[in-house]
Amino acid sequence: MTREQLGITEAMLATFGETVFQMSHNLQTREGDPVRRLDWVEIERQREAMGLADGQIAERLGLTREQVMFIRNSEESRRFRIGQTAYLLDLGGGRRYRPERVVRLEDRFSYSEDALRLRGAFRFDAELARRYVERGWWRDDTLPGWLSSHSKTRPDAPALIAGQVISWRELEERVLRFAEGLRRAGVARGEVVAVQLPNTPEFVIAFLAICRLGAVMSTLHMPYRGAEIAALLKHSRAKLGICLPPSKNLFNDIGRAFAEIDCAEPLSKDVPGPVAADPFLLLYTSGTTAAPKGVPHNYHTMLSNARLGVPEHRLTASDRIVSAAPFTHLFGLYELHCAFACGAASVLLPAFTPPDLSALIEKEKPTALWTAPAHIAAVRAQGLFDKHDWSSLRLAIMSGSACPPPLVRDFSSRVKDCAVTQLWGMTETQGALYTRPGDALEVHCSSAGRPSPGTEVRIADGELQVRGCLLFPGFYDNDEANAAAFTADGWYRTGDLAAVDAAGNYSITGRVKDIINRGGVKFNPRDVEDLLDSHPKVLQSAVVPMPDPILGEKACVFLVLRNKEEPVRLEELTEYLLQKNIAKNKLPERLVIVPDMPLTPTRKVIKGKLKLPE
Amino acid sequence: MQDAKQAIFDYCKKRGALAVGIASLEACERIAPAGHRPSDLFPRVKSVISLGVGGQTQGTWQMPAKAMAYSGSTETRAYGVAYGLAFHIEQQFGAPSVYVPPDLDPEGGPRVPLQSLKLHAELAGIGARSLAGDILLHPEYGFMYYASVFTELELEPDAPMAENPCPAPSCVSMYRQIGRTPCMKFCPAQCLSGEIDAQGKQKLMRYDMAACAELTQEYEAVPKILAEAVKDEVRSQGAEGLLDPDRKMLWYKVSAGSGAWFAQCFECMRVCPIATKAPQADPVLRSKD
Repeated sequence: MTREQLGITEAMLATFGETVFQMSHNLQTREGDPVRRLDWVEIERQREAMGLADGQIAERLGLTREQVMFIRNSEESRRFRIGQTAYLLDLGGGRRYRPERVVRLEDRFSYSEDALRLRGAFRFDAELARRYVERGWWRDDTLPGWLSSHSKTRPDAPALIAGQVISWRELEERVLRFAEGLRRAGVARGEVVAVQLPNTPEFVIAFLAICRLGAVMSTLHMPYRGAEIAALLKHSRAKLGICLPPSKNLFNDIGRAFAEIDCAEPLSKDVPGPVAADPFLLLYTSGTTAAPKGVPHNYHTMLSNARLGVPEHRLTASDRIVSAAPFTHLFGLYELHCAFACGAASVLLPAFTPPDLSALIEKEKPTALWTAPAHIAAVRAQGLFDKHDWSSLRLAIMSGSACPPPLVRDFSSRVKDCAVTQLWGMTETQGALYTRPGDALEVHCSSAGRPSPGTEVRIADGELQVRGCLLFPGFYDNDEANAAAFTADGWYRTGDLAAVDAAGNYSITGRVKDIINRGGVKFNPRDVEDLLDSHPKVLQSAVVPMPDPILGEKACVFLVLRNKEEPVRLEELTEYLLQKNIAKNKLPERLVIVPDMPLTPTRKVIKGKLKLPE
Repeated sequence: MQDAKQAIFDYCKKRGALAVGIASLEACERIAPAGHRPSDLFPRVKSVISLGVGGQTQGTWQMPAKAMAYSGSTETRAYGVAYGLAFHIEQQFGAPSVYVPPDLDPEGGPRVPLQSLKLHAELAGIGARSLAGDILLHPEYGFMYYASVFTELELEPDAPMAENPCPAPSCVSMYRQIGRTPCMKFCPAQCLSGEIDAQGKQKLMRYDMAACAELTQEYEAVPKILAEAVKDEVRSQGAEGLLDPDRKMLWYKVSAGSGAWFAQCFECMRVCPIATKAPQADPVLRSKD
């Protein structure tokens, strides 16, 4: 029978629905045990409380039995909630229902539109993914999982050293409290939280807490200000920004200081943690030649690379690692990832200065150092190797920019028992190539080493191309960049020029985009720059193409002088280069003196920002 | 009459029934609402036979909750005994009989049975109402599934049980301490509440059957899920609405006629000392007596 046939209207449902439901057997009350006792008086008295049949309800309400039946069914269906059986999934085998433990499946989490959009960027080649899993490269590693494991197995071992020592147990406790604060601030699973903090415990705690919630961290380099921050927040769709108190105004209304988020209560253990396929990082490329591009990573890519790298770097739980690179850069994060992978302690250097790094190494005696060539060059320039004790170091990993062989050689000679290695990586890959402790000094000096476990590299048309378990899935929300960045067979075009020797060691020789095409003759200006950097009047050089109406492009050199009082002329430089047997077509044909170079956080020159004066 | 009754009891017990009894027809007719009385189904009924078939082994109660419903399928065994009994009475005694369908009244919606098998069993003295939503319990056999046969054969009715085993002494003790019995405390739908009097007897039983049904009565979820699925279909413009894992499980059960179809929550019984520790629930042990 249809509603129309029965004369049921919405008004009738609204009027009688609740009453019919209450009078029906849906809600039953029984006093004593009247049926078993055949207590007829009580049976009749309680008949209504035990629930009436539809016909009996119809008599009470002045409706037809069919109308009551329809109204009751409609009301039951309206109230009925599906998915209740999920309550049963955690019960049995000795586990009983406890209301405080119950989180309905649909209440556990749901992904926002922004979170789903980011998750949509994680598409890997199915065959490769299967291979990574089969080989054990991808497994269910997460940072909260590693933290929890260290907290259980080595609770009192140091996790962070930053003035005070923070143990793994304390770190986990602080992470859970901050995670609860983030949850209360409205951060949900899969959402992006921007972080602009120096290398402090607060950074590490915020990072791990974001991960514990299943959210995604997007780092902002410390020098970034209004326009840069606004652009990245907009692109990442960040829900919240965690920063130093004076910077809050740069984040509009989503900026929060660490202390504003921190919470006295820990996050409930019932809040599910992330799994390895979940995104946890959205980083932006250092943008040496173009506008920043969003690089998403999940735990699979990043932590497989770190876990497999730890034995290659010969790191163990007893190591103490310091990073001169900022944690807002992936090279800095690689230090944390490796430390978390093996349970090593991280010695925190809030912000690099040559004296601070030198003093910290002398005081805290780290065994491993993550550093850029420019850091070491600056320490050396200030004579700090002679003033401080660097003898605790057993491993140094240099990365971030091209490593001049003399610098490696010199650094190695100053830290006798330390393996000074090189690492080549990108935001898109983390550690893709590196030399290993035990390699000959010349290998460390002249190359970036061999592929990390799980990484494949090849050179095509002079360009280094990468794929493997470490490789990001593609730029976030940037189809144009992705179309240009990947080959048809799935290799990532790094944009770096490389060569490989007979032993399989790769050396990075320049950037594809730095190639200068002078009248059809292309050349890589890297060797010119290396020679210019050795000129006594030159502190740093960068050779870039400049337009030419006849030849198409010519070379222009930007220089930072070692001493402003000692200027240099173009002719002086070209004569110097010719003495060093540089081909004439590679000679710079214009000189621009600049007070300093635009640098990435790892001290790499951002050539795209070098503008020719009018 | 007594010989016939004993023959019927013997038949049922031989085929696996733990308990058999005859309910008072007069009481059934008086208590059941119109449309649900024995005579509404079988006008010339003279006797109402109720039988109970045993529940789970001791080990079953340790299983994960989601697997409990698949263990035993004892209700169908009860129905099988009753179905055979109806034929047996007709053959042996020449009295027309019917196996009482345990199904829902198509006019009454998903929560209204054609007949209350529970009422038959209670009046036949093979179960008494518990604080766990009136689930019947037996002091010797614990938690049983019941089936009924209506027959034109006249049989002497039995009396309801003299004592109600619910609440068990341990439940009374717990109630005295926290105001709830185990079934009330551990019900995942929190559909049970009640009171125990100073003598340790049931004073008040409240049962929110609508809440219980959300957890246990999957057949009721089907139309709701279908409606939701159709909405999702429209939203996703694909087949996701019909094919998400929860829904696919239901389609599987529909097509396979799989167990766990009618009820799949046993948490109140899992914590019930009468259900789980019934001394005669084990048919192997019983056969040694």
